[in-house]
Amino acid sequence: MATTGVGPRRRVLLGALLAVGLGVLILLSALLGAVSIPIVLGLRILLHELSGGFLFPSACAGSGLTASQCSTRVLIVWQIYFPEVLLALLVGAALGLSGGALQGVFRNPLADPFLLGLSSGGTLGAATVYIYHVGLANADLYLPLFAFLGSAATGLLILAVARGRYGSVETLLLTGVALANLLSAVLSLVLLYNQQGSLQVTDWLLGGLGLADWNVDGIVLGSVLVFGTLLCVFGRELNLLQLGNDVAQSAGVDAARTRRRVLLLSSLLTAVAVAFTGIIGFVGLVSPHIVRRLFGTDYRRVLPGAAAVGALFLLGARDVSYLAFPGSVLPLGIFTAFAGVPFFLFLLYRQRRASTMGGL
Amino acid sequence: MSLNLGSGPSPARARSLSLTWVVVIALVVAGAAIAGTAAAFELKPAGPSTPPASTPPTTTNNTTGPRTPETVNVTDDLGRHVTVPYDPARVVVLSPSIMDIVFRLGLRSHVVGVDCYAPLGNSGLSEDYSPDQIALWGLNGSMCVQVGPSFALETLAVLEPQLVLASTIVSVAAVEEITSSLGVPVVMLQPPTLSGILVDDSLVGAIFNVTGAATTLNAELNSALYNATNVAAQVYTFPTVLVTYSVDSNGYWSFGPGTFGESLIELCGATSISANATTAYPELSPAQVLIDDPQYIVYGTGFGLNESTYAGGPDWSDFPAVQAGNVTGLNSNWLTEPDPTMILLGIPALQAVFYPGLA
Amino acid sequence: MAPGRAVHVAGLEVRFGERRALHGVDLDVPAGQFVGLAGPNGSGKTTLLRTLLGFVEPSAGVVELFGDPVAALPIRARARRVAWVPQSEVLRDDVPLLDYVLYGRYSLHGALDRDTAVDREVAGRALSEVGLLDRATDGIAGISGGERQRAVLARALAQETPLLLLDEPTTHLDIGHQIDLLARVRRLCEERGVTVIAALHDLNLAARFADRVVVLSRGLRVADGTPGAVLSEQLLARVWGVDAELGIDPGSGLPYLVPRRLVTEAPRALGDLTGGPVHVVGGGGAGAPAMRALVDAGFRVTAGALHLLDTDAETADALGVVAAVEGPFAPLGEPVRVRHRLLLAEARAIVIAPFPVGPSNLANLEDVRPFVHAVPTFLIAPRPGFELDFAGGAARQAREELKSMGAREVASAADAVAAVAAALAPAGRPAAPALPAER
Repeated sequence: MATTGVGPRRRVLLGALLAVGLGVLILLSALLGAVSIPIVLGLRILLHELSGGFLFPSACAGSGLTASQCSTRVLIVWQIYFPEVLLALLVGAALGLSGGALQGVFRNPLADPFLLGLSSGGTLGAATVYIYHVGLANADLYLPLFAFLGSAATGLLILAVARGRYGSVETLLLTGVALANLLSAVLSLVLLYNQQGSLQVTDWLLGGLGLADWNVDGIVLGSVLVFGTLLCVFGRELNLLQLGNDVAQSAGVDAARTRRRVLLLSSLLTAVAVAFTGIIGFVGLVSPHIVRRLFGTDYRRVLPGAAAVGALFLLGARDVSYLAFPGSVLPLGIFTAFAGVPFFLFLLYRQRRASTMGGL
Repeated sequence: MSLNLGSGPSPARARSLSLTWVVVIALVVAGAAIAGTAAAFELKPAGPSTPPASTPPTTTNNTTGPRTPETVNVTDDLGRHVTVPYDPARVVVLSPSIMDIVFRLGLRSHVVGVDCYAPLGNSGLSEDYSPDQIALWGLNGSMCVQVGPSFALETLAVLEPQLVLASTIVSVAAVEEITSSLGVPVVMLQPPTLSGILVDDSLVGAIFNVTGAATTLNAELNSALYNATNVAAQVYTFPTVLVTYSVDSNGYWSFGPGTFGESLIELCGATSISANATTAYPELSPAQVLIDDPQYIVYGTGFGLNESTYAGGPDWSDFPAVQAGNVTGLNSNWLTEPDPTMILLGIPALQAVFYPGLA
Repeated sequence: MAPGRAVHVAGLEVRFGERRALHGVDLDVPAGQFVGLAGPNGSGKTTLLRTLLGFVEPSAGVVELFGDPVAALPIRARARRVAWVPQSEVLRDDVPLLDYVLYGRYSLHGALDRDTAVDREVAGRALSEVGLLDRATDGIAGISGGERQRAVLARALAQETPLLLLDEPTTHLDIGHQIDLLARVRRLCEERGVTVIAALHDLNLAARFADRVVVLSRGLRVADGTPGAVLSEQLLARVWGVDAELGIDPGSGLPYLVPRRLVTEAPRALGDLTGGPVHVVGGGGAGAPAMRALVDAGFRVTAGALHLLDTDAETADALGVVAAVEGPFAPLGEPVRVRHRLLLAEARAIVIAPFPVGPSNLANLEDVRPFVHAVPTFLIAPRPGFELDFAGGAARQAREELKSMGAREVASAADAVAAVAAALAPAGRPAAPALPAER
């Protein structure tokens, strides 16, 4: 796409401004939560921890808090809120990437990360822990682990079944839909006979950042870096796939292999997101479209762009949830819809470009 | 026109090599990221004045030693072995039934937080606690710890508790978060049977140095149970009853086998028509109720449910028990929350429905 | 690797389940040749192209591109040898044309390369070759169908392959764009030595632009050679079931076919082929409509006197009409006039076409005179504003004379046929000619 004609020096300046803005957004977001932290105190705590203790050696000085109250605030900001902010960015990126990749592979503007039933698989995995108390003693390990396994296994199963001669886009899609419905039915059955645990599973289903801590963030960061980078490499192939399988192949793209690899990476990314945050909808669907509206349909841009947009989107949803309903932690899935729909409709009706993806 | 038809190595191989390098570098970076974040920001339990694990924990039963111990080792209802501070001043209670025990043992002043649902505040409190309970136990919205729809750790952290008493309404993941992130011990109290309530009383008593009060309470409970079973023992045929705790357009929710409600009914000398159901909390269709034709109907009130709610249920007026007037309302907490109140108030009230004179 | 042999296909057989789409097809295409692949729908043209691209696995036979079997080539290597311009392409995104053409550069790169200056240069050249360079930043969704097809061609060109396959590229194009597209491809073939195989449904386009025409019918190769050698009326009838006339385009010397009707269409049996012929007097192209109409109606037709190289003479030749023919531009000589009179004598009806009359063929109007009495004679009126008399008034006078002798004037060739049929109706015996109104 033609450059916007911004000179290199201005671009550097723009980039620096964006980076600073992003940093400020992250810091301020880390002050938001069910328990409100005064801004000055919060910033001092954050800068103290971020600088390894160098800045603001006595973070709570002058705030009128006792030592134990101070250490509680530090814990809340540094061990609860800040990891949640990072997790929101990472999971948002994962979902945006996955959604963009699936929209490309299936040439369908309505595709989202959970298209192939990964949500049902992950929920079943979570239900195994919540209801059948598998791995009860180490629930913080087993819950994400089983949710991840359930989700990833669903994706792998679909890839294994719809292979070779049956590896067409339609077969993959229908297999995924069929599997999703089957797993959903199994889940309903499980929940019906275990009403006590079903409440917790329903909580999990609505999505949330509650599991965030530094270990979790590390795992998710590593996963997003590996899977996400690999996925972005397929930008060119995805561009060509939009022309149809045959044309793409005539131009040198191994369409079937590309599809399988992209689906595998996308499933893994989604499974990681699901493992730690449950099912958060709308991010994966909308982020790629926002990027397309602003920067065109080249997947070499759409994928990394969707990661960035998804990250900010999810963080924004988290912030909006706390600003609109202070004092409570509400399911994140509600706010991704609230935050996303108006903005998306605005973009849709702005009509700056001709139709992208067939009129959407 | 240049015609490079060779499937020779150079360009293709160079490309695939660079991709391999990217993967290798990405994995290295990922590994470093994981290791780095986990190590650099290693979590130190920052909970205020939690007892260090290095002090030798001493066990106490009902015998008292000359020196009050720092910690107590207990085994909770889920079989977890937990080391808790002895007689902690700041406790969070995450269940109304546990709150009942705690209150009856005179420990209300130790309680700094209770379970709530979002949005927090008084409305969140009322999701779990009835107005009577709130009034009786002196609870208010500032004590809220959000346990639903999702668990909010910070609402617990800000209360700086030394101990958390929770039932299984709190998810396993939340329990892990509390223990690992805050370093606060969690004792799970979920009595499997009525007698388990007495075990819980003793457990709480042991933790808080009120073993005397616990013993007294248990004696009361035992006597109430004995009286109730006495009545039931004198009866040859048990009347049939439908005990329903909720209603919707499809039918009436009742207690199935393995639930407290069902064992209460049996203990009181009656037979529930859902005693042989396949699920723990079955929904009985009106047809089923008509076929089983219970002699008595008991409905649970509270949390928005009252007589008119049930009267609006499907085919309510067709039930012979309703037409005969053998319908009674009971506080649903007495039927669902496994605590001393269930035994001390619930059982006599339930039994009075079937045996008005004998109790 | 046989030098210069772009495509080698031997004994190719392709099955789809029970159906055999291609039977034992052989095809050798030397590098730099433009092959027009023709055949009716379902004859296997697209299947053949798809087999060359490696989309379809043959059940038997050999398929090689530049010496290597297609199946053995990895997909990327295939894309370096052959590019494809499909009939229509589905792209819903509004990609700018330059970017779209750059997509075609995929096979020349590895996974992580960016578009280089070379890529942009090649893409730009491809766009200018199809005449779309000035639209390079426009989105592909906003351009017309013809431009779109050219864009698809540009993308395939950007692939820089020595072989180009086109599958009915002119389907959605108007006639101007059809010629434009094929002319550009032809130029590519000639200037850059690109081998082209194009499936074309229009035989005349194939004849005009291809070096060689290969005709498929029901999965078999039924014809293969230069357009002049391959195109024939028999071919069109046999393969397409169409009756046609073959002509030679005077400008290019290339053959062209004019389809007339389906073979299965039975002619209106107004006349039977027994009994005498109907004679058409014509020349200068004026006799052709009458000749055709009469032949279509089932009459045996003779004609005269015509000049060699006259289109009427060619039409007569094409229709199988026996004619008296004089040398080019010569006045009608005695032998021809005698022959003409013999033909006139045998005819059971005469149709005089509105042919331009000059000194060299004025004799035609004279020779007809004795026969006007004997058989039904019809005079086709000239179109208003057309001058037919180039003989100083003698022609007009002769025509008036014929009318006064009994020739009936009719408005057109079709009317003439109807009038002849009516006149010959009772078992072919000539009926008395109806008297014209102005008699």
